[in-house]
Amino acid sequence: MRTQTYKTNYAELVALTPHASNWAWALMGLLIVACAPLILGSHGLNILSVIFVMAIGILGLNLLTGVTGLISLGHAGFLLIGAYSQAILTTDYHFPAWLAIFASGLVAALASLVVGIPSLRLKGLYLAITTLAFTFIVRHIVLFAENITRGSEGMAVEPLKILGYAIKSDMPFFYVALIMLVFFILITLNIMRSRIGRAWLAVRDHDIAARAMGINLMRYKLLAFMVSAFYTGVAGSLVALQTRYINVDTFSILISIEALAMIIVGGMGRVHGALLGTVLILLLPELLNFSFSIAGDRFTTLMADRIYEIKGLMYGVVILLFLRLEPEGLAGIWRKAKRFWVHWPLSQ
Amino acid sequence: MNYFLNLLMSGLVIGSLYGLISMGFAIVYRATGMVNFAVGETMMLIAYISYNLAQFPGLGFAGLLLTTIPISVLLGLLIERIFIRPMLGEPMFSRVMVTIGLAVVIRSAVILIWGVEPKAYPRPLGDEVIKFGELALYPGQIFSLVVMALLCLMMWAFFRHSRVGIAMRATSNNETTALLMGINVKRISAISWALSSVFAAFAGLSFCLMFSLEPEISQMGLRGFPASILGGLDSVIGGAFGGLVIGVAENMAGGYLGRGLKEIAGFVLIIVVLMVKPYGLFGQREIERV
Repeated sequence: MRTQTYKTNYAELVALTPHASNWAWALMGLLIVACAPLILGSHGLNILSVIFVMAIGILGLNLLTGVTGLISLGHAGFLLIGAYSQAILTTDYHFPAWLAIFASGLVAALASLVVGIPSLRLKGLYLAITTLAFTFIVRHIVLFAENITRGSEGMAVEPLKILGYAIKSDMPFFYVALIMLVFFILITLNIMRSRIGRAWLAVRDHDIAARAMGINLMRYKLLAFMVSAFYTGVAGSLVALQTRYINVDTFSILISIEALAMIIVGGMGRVHGALLGTVLILLLPELLNFSFSIAGDRFTTLMADRIYEIKGLMYGVVILLFLRLEPEGLAGIWRKAKRFWVHWPLSQ
Repeated sequence: MNYFLNLLMSGLVIGSLYGLISMGFAIVYRATGMVNFAVGETMMLIAYISYNLAQFPGLGFAGLLLTTIPISVLLGLLIERIFIRPMLGEPMFSRVMVTIGLAVVIRSAVILIWGVEPKAYPRPLGDEVIKFGELALYPGQIFSLVVMALLCLMMWAFFRHSRVGIAMRATSNNETTALLMGINVKRISAISWALSSVFAAFAGLSFCLMFSLEPEISQMGLRGFPASILGGLDSVIGGAFGGLVIGVAENMAGGYLGRGLKEIAGFVLIIVVLMVKPYGLFGQREIERV
């Protein structure tokens, strides 16, 4: 019986996964997901792609809020910046689309300095409100800088081209999103096991104590902001590539709240928590849609008219329930379930 | 000059709304150390309830006030009891997220119940412009200014002279010590939520008397943040002052610098202020010990 994972030396502490078998499980899961196009239709693939793209952004938010402990209500702003950078760089400056993905991440990371630098002196709630202010400001700049962003009309986005093949349909985009997500998961896991990840955790737990131990607060907080904004910017550019038409209204304040709901539901500060939370929150509207379609026509029209409010209500209730009943989120449930099986006849 | 005066006056009127909202933020922050992100939504819910109340014939404005305010007190107490108190002792992040969750739930529920169409709120104070020399004000605007001035005065007296107010200051200063001194900290928290809800009610009523009632009213909560930041999150009177400053600044920016700036002037202003003074103009500096 395996009782605990004991780490006896430094190499084990910084290993990417605690057990070699984790790789096998991860690969198997990846294979199953990669086979999804065999059974799912266009609608299902679309939802999965949205989940993958959103998960990249959530991994970024999780690094900032869950790992470093800096609350951000401004990630809708970074998503917006990423999406518009993608659109503007490809149409007006003729960047190749794949390069523009990373360039938009960089643009978002640079923009994060605008909110990151004043936030160095701020903590907790003051910071949350500054990031909220950032979202408002970004939205207004996009709306009023009409000669660059086309204002409230929105912009069409050119499709991604790989080896001269334009990715327009659902299936190729599904694989692009999946590959990007795996890439970013690996990056995140690697950051987390390095000096940077451990410094961030220390900043979250007690920033003054962290400083006393020689962690440069300014550098690590700014780094957290930039890395997080980079992830979200990349997610934004993928959103643009998927919908191929963007508008300010796509990136409302509700997105920031949705994102926070995802990391709370998943479990703060955990990579698999962020992924699980994204999947659950994004599948909830589908479940609701499905159960409403069974309930009858009256509910279907209600769903169609008030989708925004119903979604909001649902996110709110989910946030409240998880905070109240399972503050550790899905990652906590997963941990408890695993312990139950491992210890089985002796588990309480 | 006339243009300037009118901009200034309408800025002060909007500012008094922001001031009422940010006083609602500050009072909860003082007593419990958390930001109530649901103030705007509480305001929205109370405004819609008062809209239904105002449909009763023969209620009059005094009657409307006398029914709306007790309802808002009740609402504040309910929210505190059901959502906030069980979270006592949890990390600050979770507690604040509860108010964010609550905000989303209230906003969506109100829209689902009352719909998105703007509603014409009755004008119990009349609709004639009252002139003061060159200035012309609607009764609703005067109501908003007067209410804020009165509440400011009352809050000042409350924190300085009443037992509950002093107990509240003690609690915000150090919760454990206050508890040891025999202050019922839970009751203080309940009172502060009720008071915050009353501020939201007055802000909602003033809003309804000036504009028509529509779901955008909940945005006022977010728009009130710059005011409370400027004044310092923990200063009630500072919040009122911050509201006036932000209201005037927004109007001046909109009037002289160009369209679009009106909405973000407040947010730009606080980012600049926070760079210089991280705890707002009147906020208390927190001293941390390891």
